[in-house]
Formats: sequence, C-alpha cells, structure tokens
Amino acid sequence: MKKILAILMAGVLTATAFAGCGGETSNASSGSSSNSGSSSNATGVNSSTVDYAYFGEEDNVKLKVWAPDAAVNLVKKQIEEFKKTYSEKTFDITVVAQGESDAATQMLNDASAAADVFSFPSDQLNKLVDAGVIAPVAKGFKDYVTSENSEDTIKAGTLKNSDGEDTLYAYPETNDNGYYMVYDNTVVTEEDAKTLEGTLAACKKAGKKFIFDAGDGFYACTFAFTAGAKIDGLEDDGITQKFVEYDEDEAVKTLQAFAKLIKEYKGTFTSLNVKNVASGFKNGTCGAGIDGSWDTKVNQDSLGDKFGAAKLPTINVDGEDKQLISMFGYKYIGVNGSSKYPNSAQILALYLSGEECQKQRTEELGWGPSNLNVQKDKIVTESAVLNAIKDQSQNSCTQVNIASTFWTPMGNLGNKLVADEWNPDDADATRKLLKDTIANVRDEG
Amino acid sequence: MTYVEYKQLNPFQRFAHNFKKFILNIPHALAKFFKAIGHAIVRFFTGIGKGFKNYGVTFVKGDWATKLSYLIFGIGDIHKGKYYKGILFFLTEVLYALYMIFFGWTYLQKFNTLGTVATTQGFNELGMPVTVYGDNSMLILLYSVLSIVITILVFAVYISNIKDAYRHQVMRAEGKKPTSLKHDVKEFLDGKYHITLLSFPTLMIGIFNIMPMIFMILIAFTSYDQQHLPPGTLFTWVGFDNFASLFNFVDSATKATTFIELTKWTLIWAVVATFTNYILGMVVALMINKKGIKFKALWRTLFVIAIAVPQFVSLLLMNQMLQTNGAINIILSYFNGGVNPQIQFLNSSTLMARMTVIIVNLWVGIPYTILSMSGILMNIPEDLYESARIDGAGPVKTFTKITLPYMIFVTTPQLITQFVGNINNFNVIYLLTGGGPSTEQFYQAGRTDILVTWLFNLTMGSQDYGLAAAIGILVFIVCATLSLLIYNNSKSMKDEEAFS
Amino acid sequence: MIKSYKLRRHVANGLIYLILAILGIIWISPFVYLVMHSFRAEGLIAVDDYLIPHEWTLQNYIDLFTGAGGNASINFPRWFLNTFVVAIFSCIISTVSVLMVSYAFSRLRFKSRKKFMNVGMILGMFPGFMTMIAIYYLLKAMNLTGTLVALVICYSCGAGLGFQISKGFFDTIPRALDEAATIDGATKNQIFWKIILPMSKPIVVYTVLTSFIGPWTDFILAKIIMGDNLDNYTVAIGLQKMLSNDFINTYYKQFLAGSVVVAVPITLLFLKMQKYYVEGVTAGGVKG
Repeated sequence: MKKILAILMAGVLTATAFAGCGGETSNASSGSSSNSGSSSNATGVNSSTVDYAYFGEEDNVKLKVWAPDAAVNLVKKQIEEFKKTYSEKTFDITVVAQGESDAATQMLNDASAAADVFSFPSDQLNKLVDAGVIAPVAKGFKDYVTSENSEDTIKAGTLKNSDGEDTLYAYPETNDNGYYMVYDNTVVTEEDAKTLEGTLAACKKAGKKFIFDAGDGFYACTFAFTAGAKIDGLEDDGITQKFVEYDEDEAVKTLQAFAKLIKEYKGTFTSLNVKNVASGFKNGTCGAGIDGSWDTKVNQDSLGDKFGAAKLPTINVDGEDKQLISMFGYKYIGVNGSSKYPNSAQILALYLSGEECQKQRTEELGWGPSNLNVQKDKIVTESAVLNAIKDQSQNSCTQVNIASTFWTPMGNLGNKLVADEWNPDDADATRKLLKDTIANVRDEG
Repeated sequence: MTYVEYKQLNPFQRFAHNFKKFILNIPHALAKFFKAIGHAIVRFFTGIGKGFKNYGVTFVKGDWATKLSYLIFGIGDIHKGKYYKGILFFLTEVLYALYMIFFGWTYLQKFNTLGTVATTQGFNELGMPVTVYGDNSMLILLYSVLSIVITILVFAVYISNIKDAYRHQVMRAEGKKPTSLKHDVKEFLDGKYHITLLSFPTLMIGIFNIMPMIFMILIAFTSYDQQHLPPGTLFTWVGFDNFASLFNFVDSATKATTFIELTKWTLIWAVVATFTNYILGMVVALMINKKGIKFKALWRTLFVIAIAVPQFVSLLLMNQMLQTNGAINIILSYFNGGVNPQIQFLNSSTLMARMTVIIVNLWVGIPYTILSMSGILMNIPEDLYESARIDGAGPVKTFTKITLPYMIFVTTPQLITQFVGNINNFNVIYLLTGGGPSTEQFYQAGRTDILVTWLFNLTMGSQDYGLAAAIGILVFIVCATLSLLIYNNSKSMKDEEAFS
Repeated sequence: MIKSYKLRRHVANGLIYLILAILGIIWISPFVYLVMHSFRAEGLIAVDDYLIPHEWTLQNYIDLFTGAGGNASINFPRWFLNTFVVAIFSCIISTVSVLMVSYAFSRLRFKSRKKFMNVGMILGMFPGFMTMIAIYYLLKAMNLTGTLVALVICYSCGAGLGFQISKGFFDTIPRALDEAATIDGATKNQIFWKIILPMSKPIVVYTVLTSFIGPWTDFILAKIIMGDNLDNYTVAIGLQKMLSNDFINTYYKQFLAGSVVVAVPITLLFLKMQKYYVEGVTAGGVKG
C-alpha cells in the first residue's frame, strides 16, 4: 500500500510538471517488542542441544546463515542435522557463501538485510559491538559455552557492554585464525625451519622463494611484535591502540636485523600476497612461506607429501635467537541483533559452535577447534599443522580490540623494511620509522 | 596584441598566448563568477519578498474559491471548471499529508538532534538477548532530507495552485473558459515540450543524485565516524569540525598533512595525466591517419580493444604483471641474463610508483584520445588543405599551419573535461596501486593516493564518513568552479548556434 | 629532388609502421596475456618464471559455465544473463533520457535553461561513492535492494546528466529544418521524433554503447546494492568475488576465463560500432 502511495505521489509530481522526488516508506528501525530486562533465572544448558522451551513462541523459523565458501556444503549438512534434532519445529534455513572478512562490512552496511547467524574473525567484534548489530550470547548458554571452549577464545569474545559489564558476544568457532610457516620439506628441513636464517639459506640454495606478505599489516605486524612493540587492547577511549612498554633500542636492533636479513636474501625473500604461496608451491618456485590457516588445505594439495608446517622461525639479533611473534585470532559465530527469530538464531549458533560441529570442521576442513574436548582429540593432537598453529599461538598477540588505524601503518612498516632503498644500517631512520608507525597506529597528531 | 600580430604567431605561440590569456583571466572570471552568485542570492531574496507580497495581494483580491485554495489545494481550479488540474493539486495535498503523518514527521522532528534515544540490549525472560533499537541517526538524516525536499516541492505546488486559482478567476472575470485537457496535452507536446522532456530525467536525478548529494553534504557537518556507528550509537551535528581537522596542523597534523600532500599530488597527477594523454594520443592519431599509411582500421582496432576490456580486469592484470614475480619482471629477466631483477614498481619508491601509474594511465587513456582525434582529423575541412596546397605549402607547413592549430582549437574543452575526469580518476589508482607505496606520514593513504581514493578508503575502510564528506565537498567545489568557469567562457557555450 | 622526396616519404612511412607495430603490440599484450592464461592448465594463481602457459585446456571455461571445480556459490551463466538484462534496460532508459534532455537544451528555449545546464554539468562531479549509502537506503525504503530493478535505476537515473556530447551533436543540425517543419504545422514533439532522431544515428549509437558497457564494469555500487544476494549478482561483482580471499585459489583461472567471456562481446560491439562512436564523439564533444 505504502509503495503504491509512493508511486502515486511521484506520478502526481510529474504530472503537475514539477521536478522532484517521490516519497517512499518503510518501517526503518524495527525494534523488538519485549524487553523485560529482568533476568528471570533461566536454567543453564549443558549440551549444544537445548530444551524446546528456549524457542519461546517461535515456529516456522526463517533464518539465513553466512559461511565461507569452503564451508558452505558442510554447514548445509550440519543444518540438516539441526533440523532433525529439533524435529518438532519447522525451519527454513538458507546458507549463503560470504567471506568472513567481508561479513562485518556487510553487517555494518545494513544489518537488517544481513544473515541471522554468521561467522567472523575476532578483530571485527569491536566494530560489530559498537554498531550494536551483534547480539550477545544468551544468558542460559553462557556458562556452558564458557566451560566448553578454551579460555583465550572466551576472553577475546568478551567485551564491555554499554553499561560497562563484561559480556560474551559470540560463540567461539575456531582457535586457529593465524599464520604459521609452511614449507616444502624437500627444500627446507625441520631443523632449517627453526630459524629464519636457516629457512632463507635453504631456499636460496634451492633457488626458491620465501614468501612473506610484508605489505599487509596483518602479517607485517610481526616485525613490530617481534621487536617488542606488542599490543595490549585499547585505551579507555575505546579506539586508541594500547602498546606494552618496550625497550626502544632493542626494538630498533631487531628491525635492523630483519632489514639486513631481507637485503642479504634479496630475490629469495619476496614480499607478495600470501596467495602466491600455494601458487608457488604448485609451480615449484616457492620453498617456504608464511601463510594463514585458511590456506592450509590448498597448500597441502599443492605440496602433497612434501608439505611441512612449523611455528614461525626465530631471528638472530646480536647473537640471540628471538622467536617471531605473530598476530593470532579466533573465529566466532555471531547472532544478528536484528534477527526476526532471535531465540532460534541463538540456538542454531550454539549448535553450530558445539563439539560435534567443531569436530566435523576439523575433520573435513582442517580448522583448529576452540572446543576443549575436540582439542584433546587425536585428529588435533596428531596434526602437524594444528600443532604448529598451537605453538605459534603461544607466541602471539591476540587479534581482538584492534584499532581500525592499526593495519595501514603496520603494512607501511613492512613495506619500508623490504623496500630496495631502505638502508638497514641506518639506526636513526629505523627508530623514526618505528616511532612514526606507533604514533600513526595510535592516531596521534 | 593586435589581431595582425596574433595572426603572425606560430601555432605554439598562439596556444601559449591563449593559455596565458586564460590564466590571467582566471581572477577576473572568478570575480565575475562570485558576483553572479551574489546577484543570484540577492535576486532570490527579493524574489521571496515579492512572493510574499503577491501571496497577500492574491488573497485579498481572490473570491471564496481562491481563498479556500490557500487551505485546500485545487479548490479554485475545480470551481472554475479546470477539473483535472484541480484534482491533481488536491491529490498532492492528500498524499503529502499521508506521507508526513505516517513517515516523514517521525524523522523530521528529530532532525535538529539526529536522535536522542540510544540502542539498548537486554535479556528476555528466557535469558535470550533482546536488542531494542533506538534512533538511527543516519536514517533520521536521510529521511529528513527526503521530507524537506518533498516539502519544498509541495510548497511549490501550493504556490502554483494559488496562482492558478487566481489566474482562472481573472480569466472567468474576463469571460474566458479554462483550457481543456486535450488542449493542455497538445501544449505539453509543443510550446511546453521542454517540461515534458525534462520532468522524467529531472525526477530521477532529483531522487538518486541530488538528494543523496544533499545528504552527504550534511554528513560533513556531523560526527558520523567509527565511534558513532548507527544503529548502535548516535551521531550528531558538529559544525565545521571535520573541515577544521583538514587544516589544523596542531591537533590533527597527520590528517592535515595528508590533505595538503594529496591535493598537491592530485593536481600534478591531473595535469600530467591529461597532457601526456593528449599529446601522445594526438601523435598516435596523426600517425594512424597520415596519408599513405595502410590498415588504418587494424591499427585503430588494436588500441580500441584496450577500451573494451573492463578496467577492473585490465588494471588488476596490470597490477599482477608489475609485481616482482609478474610478467614485466619476467620479460626484463630475459635482458638481464635470466636473472629476475625483482623491480618493485608499485610499492617501493614514490617516484617509480607515480611514473608507473602515469604510464599505465597512458595505456588506458590513449585509445580514447585516438578515437576522438581520428574523428577531428577526418573532419578538417578539405578546402583548407586545398588552398594551402595552391599557396605552395609543403607537408610540414600544412601540418603546423592547419592541422595543429585546428586540433588545439577544437579540442580545448575536451582537455578540460579530461582534466576534471583525472582529478576523479578512481579506477587507475585504486586498482593499480591501491594507493601504495605506503607511508607513515599519511592518515589512511599512500603515496599515489589521490583525493578521491583517499575518500574511498575513509568511507569503506575506516568509516570516517564525516571527514570523507568534507573532502568530497572540497573536491566538488574545485571541480565545479573550474568547469563552470571554462564552459561558460568557451566558444561552444557562447555561440551555441554557430553551426545552425 | 622528387626521388629523394619520395624516398624520404617511404622512410618516414616505414618508421611509422614500425612505431605503430610496437605500440600495437604493447597495447594488445595484456589482452593476449589474459586470453592465453585463461586457457592455462597448470598452476593456481601466478606462474612465476615464464609467460606462455605450458599446458593448455578448456577446463577453466567449462568450470566457469557448469559451476564445477568449486562450491556451488558461483553461478556465472546466471550472472551473465543478469548483466545482459540490466544492460539492455538501463541502456534503453539512459538513451531515451539523454536524448530528451539534450534535445530540450539544444532546441527548445525556456526560462533558466542555462542555469539548468550548469547545474546538470556540475552535479555529476560529486564523488559518487559518498552517496552510495544514501542511494542504498533510498532503494531499501522502496523495497528494491538486492533486485535487478535497483541496478537498472542506478545505472540509468543519472544518465540525463551526460547530455553535453549529444547536445553538441544536436547543435550542429541546421535549425532551418526545424523552422521549415514548424511552418508546415509540426509540433516540437513531431520534430523531435520525425526529424531530429532519424538524423542522430551516430549519437544514439554512441549513447547506447556507453550506457550498455556501464553495468559490465561497475563493481562497487552494485556490490553494495546486492549484498549477499548471489543470484542477482552481475558479472563485475561476480568476477570481483572470485578474487576475494576465500575464492581466489580455486577460482583465479576461472576469473581469467570469465574476463575473456565479458571482454569479447564488448570488443566485438565496439569494433562494429566504432565508426558511429567516432562520429558521435567528434560532432558532439569537440565543437570549439
């Protein structure tokens, strides 16, 4: 009716020969009706399937789920199981392929057109909470989720809400959102892979490349972190990045050591998009590279038996081997705050993040689980990749509470260090670069 | 300089002369431009004053139906027998009232604060989270703009309804009948044909160009940024803060530096890109169109293919070819004894990256220049050459005396359009370098970023909508002033009817 | 003397042929590279140290059209059809609007005509992506987001602003024709349809061509409007999606194939219509 009204209006305006615009209508902010606010003590759950009572009045539920392309088919299967589990209710659930990194952007654009249940990486959580588009984990589920998943993932998923209370905002899905070293084990031996020098030397000897994406802040922050400039959440204003105290002289030395090594191995150390790692393995031009867990499968396919995985290597600074520190995050399943079926969406998210589903993802996609029981499973403990990721996660900064001004300056730091004209011996320039980078991340001035 | 002196100059001197005249003319033209704006404003207000006067006078003189038209649209027309128009007027009022009651007013009443009710999250009796959405500042702003624009239009309808009522009253007093629908339709196909032709396009442009533009202009005066993201958080009016941060070297030095440096590079880029494209494109076009050169169609086709491949494909491909493992370095390695030189075209040296961008832009732009130049070259009146030949001019002389001056004369406006186009040339920069090489001195921008790509990074990347809108306005003012000045002083505007 | 002049001309022409050949190769080479690698069998994304693929295959094209070789979220034939439909409709509406506006500005004389023209000229200069959120929510209020209709609207709504070139073209048609017709009793409407339009083939083709290509190349606005509605994607968003992080390893070669599939029809169209394009842009754009 309102649409017709709009068309009529436009028509009349044209007819009366005045240029302009038609009206149109829609109820824009559809708030939920009931907000009791009071927390009537709903009894907690103790499995990833729950009592029908939690559905409330909801039936004929229509939900949309976003999953990354690689996981779409698996998620579809899991949803069939979900429907069987709750056979008393009818569901109409669609699964749409949506890159995880894109999910937050789309949520911010228009949450009401976005998915009800979606997976996303931990660094997006802040934005989603600020924009009020993500609903927190249901009260009754929180304790169970907390007990089932690793402490880190719970900690990183917990932010202060507008009243200043700690709130768990999403269901942990994986404990693997980071990068590690992959190598061709005919080129690089397990021993070589322990140090950056060894890896580079082995690659150079074989005439192959070592690929590291120094232009992308996500990887390049390794330089700053290893140098000691680690991040520590946000300042109280909620947008400025906080850094730990660090020894600047030491940091400068570390950065110089990186730059020297890069210069020494020019032609071997190449800064390229990580997508070139798998490609390079396939062509036989790449000896080793730093790549993320999401590319594990394609790297394994490219290398076959020759596949090797390890945590990031060490770098020698003044005779001391320093472990490379990386950025490490988690993936979560979130529930859209404007979902029309909020209860069902919560129940589905709980189900998809549960032990069984996580195990299936580990088996079929190689994703590292956040669920404590699955972590103890032998498919995890015996997986070289997941062990490498686990080792690396102990030498990392958590990818949560990252300022949006973080990535660009960090990418710049990396770009500068690998640039042809960068002089590794210039300590003053290195110091200035580091200071400027930190200042830019903090958006000072 | 007298006409005779001018005629004795060679084409380059003439061009230089004209160019100098143009540059010297800019302050004058600017003054004229602002004076014209001033006049327009004065005229606008006197117009309003006169409008008020007429409004009152008409009311006093009007009969009961005309007087009633002040409240109910179209009564006057219906009373005088002009039914269809009266009904349209009336419908407008009804629809407007419905629109305002059911939609517009809910937003418009919050326009001054952009919303006060914050979004809250709580839990229901099942322990399930419930989000209660408060005011959405962005939608309030957008739909308020919509409502204001509609109100202005309806007001215009209102005024014309009164005028029309009075006109018909006068006509009746003179014993004339109102014109029939058939007559009016005929009139709209002839005397008022411009209204028929323009109303549909104007309506579309009004909704999808002008209104979003007003919205974005207003955003520049709000605090819409990463800390104030609707629907979770409210934003509000902040006056000129966003503009100030572009020029404040004390509190927001990085942003101000970025703005100044990017403006410089944008201008350099626009000048260099335009002229290199123009000159080299002209050279290639001349070569293709030279008498005695065969396979003209083939040569042109080779260049045209570059236009036909979508830019996001060809530029992304170029980006890959320019990487250290890309095709260009591979080709260079053949000249380097098989060793890949690993040249970092795009993300190492500023100069190298900027040159690369300009060269790739030649690849993108020259085909267009060739196409338009070919047409002009074919269009040079043959009798000019004829008379030159009779005067015994050689090929060099005909070229410098006829071809070149003609081309420069004819394509100057095009040059300006291209200049403005290059200021806003998003694709080449964004897809080729993505702004790199990066630098620690800029805020969310790199060394090859121009203002529009920075603006894109600010909106899509760091959600600094307010700041981005402020930059957008500044870019717009520069481009608009420049092109208005030039078009209104160009030949095609001054004597539109030269050919007809 | 004459002989040396002739010789000089031959040398000059030879040189020009050489330069043109070199330039031609440079201009065509990215396209050749694209076509070659769309038939490549080996490797995932880049091949590092050679230019010409070692193994050739049609598999990339087959995968592209059957959706095999990946998960089901890529539906290229559908996207191609979407784009084609959008392009057809938006090019009809755009062409009609442009011609209406430019005829009005060129041939009709009315109050504030020049002001309208000035406003029309500068409106297009406001940076576009600033207004995209606004356009999105306006379309949403009309319940059109995620639909092809929305795309048609977006691509054709601003067309009227591109009147300069065709106005310039209309300006060159002698006014005596209009006057003669007016004396014979023709209305402005009849003059537009019966006299001016039949004479405007170059500019019509020019407008059709430019507005037809738009939907095939836009990937920013279309993405915002379509959101996650994969079924209604156009090829430009689709191809762009194939390059996103979780797609690129699987789909890169299909992306190359898809680009060729998009480029070929446009190229053919362009080549076929080149003559009119040149005539249109010459007559309309450059009247000093």
